[in-house]
Amino acid sequence: MKRALAGEDAPRTAQAWVALNAVDPQVASALTVARSALAAGRGLAELRRWRLFELRGPLPDRARLEEMLHRSIRFYNPNKERCIVRGADEPAPLAGAERAVLVVDRGGARRTAAERWWLHETGERIEVREAVVWALRFKPGIDAAAGAAELTILRGMDSGLFCNLQAQDHRQSGADVPLPWIARGRRTGGRRA
Amino acid sequence: MKPRVAVVQFPGVNCEVETLRAVVRAGLEGEIFRWTRPPDELRTFQAYVLPGGFSWQDRVRAGALAAKDPMVRVVAEESTARAKPVLGICNGAQVLVEAGLVPGGGGVQLALARNRMPGRSGYYARWIHVRVEPSPCVFTRALLPGTVLPLPVAHAEGRFTARDRGRLEDLSRAGQVPLRYASSAGSDASGFPENPNGSDADAAAVCDARGLVLAIMAHPERAQDLGQLSRAVPGGWAGRRERAVERGEEGDTSGPGLALFEGLRRHLEET
Repeated sequence: MKRALAGEDAPRTAQAWVALNAVDPQVASALTVARSALAAGRGLAELRRWRLFELRGPLPDRARLEEMLHRSIRFYNPNKERCIVRGADEPAPLAGAERAVLVVDRGGARRTAAERWWLHETGERIEVREAVVWALRFKPGIDAAAGAAELTILRGMDSGLFCNLQAQDHRQSGADVPLPWIARGRRTGGRRA
Repeated sequence: MKPRVAVVQFPGVNCEVETLRAVVRAGLEGEIFRWTRPPDELRTFQAYVLPGGFSWQDRVRAGALAAKDPMVRVVAEESTARAKPVLGICNGAQVLVEAGLVPGGGGVQLALARNRMPGRSGYYARWIHVRVEPSPCVFTRALLPGTVLPLPVAHAEGRFTARDRGRLEDLSRAGQVPLRYASSAGSDASGFPENPNGSDADAAAVCDARGLVLAIMAHPERAQDLGQLSRAVPGGWAGRRERAVERGEEGDTSGPGLALFEGLRRHLEET
């Protein structure tokens, strides 16, 4: 039986959490550098990374949505990545002890090519945004929220990594990740300089 | 004895050979300094060039991981304590910005964000023009303000920007934007593609307040001789190229990009 995502009539939101099946080289490098160069990084026990898509609009049922995401080249490569669809009232694919940090390019989250593809395939207009989620698990006894903040905000060579505030925004959450989570910021990508 | 310049190579950097060639061509002694060497050996050099490429495969964010490298720490210490010049080209510029060495003054004050181009996204490569601005920058000191240089760009994240949208204009007024994107005639850039990435204030390069540390997104090492100049480049440099070709000397004649390395040589000879 097909599972609906949320209220049938209202515009709906779903998240697609995409991760590599193999070891993520971005994670391996970030973990190595964080542990060797940043004080807060020494408390990291585990690091994971997801590409997060948020789709807003008249979405189909879960089975159709999963099939669409799988079929398109605009979201993920099923030959090397896995995708978990999350609807309203469903948990994010995070462990309870993990802190999730969302990093988004300011004014650059919209994925208009994916939106055009969706319109072509379904005749429906939806909004698609993409961000990166870093899931951080710290060693016991460490203030995870403070550690995640310290590792997130880039301040210099000795501090911060995941988010350069000069061009990016970030949000932090526990395992109870909001839905939607990516802010509907002003759309600036592709405009004339 | 010629001043020694280290061409600092992180894993993933791929422009070290032509950058070294430009250093030597400008009359300096150069050496590729790979990440496998003890970073403290960098202290024996008089200047540093961080070439282009994809350090750490651009993981996390272009330049973000290399900015934490012990080699960058040594470069920063030497530049701060002993006034040694540092040139970051493309990915090297991203490293300098992510490390907070440009524009300097404490903390990370800028970003080299994803290109912002009408109707397209991603990697963009073409010849553009930059105009020399009044600045204490040691790399542009050999050039008169208003001089126009054709240089190639090739990047996906080259948009100088800041959370404070007036920051780049402030830096420009302070002389810390020694090169701005411009038309081939030298007038202000009229958006894309003259400004190829949407940089605030049309900034093509930013330096620290001393003029010693320069981050530039274009590739001067790929315009070090006239043989490298694209046939599509208009203006006075095209005429020079044609004359050099007629003489069969285009590969031996200095190109527009070499001026930055010559500025470095003059500075090092005088200090």
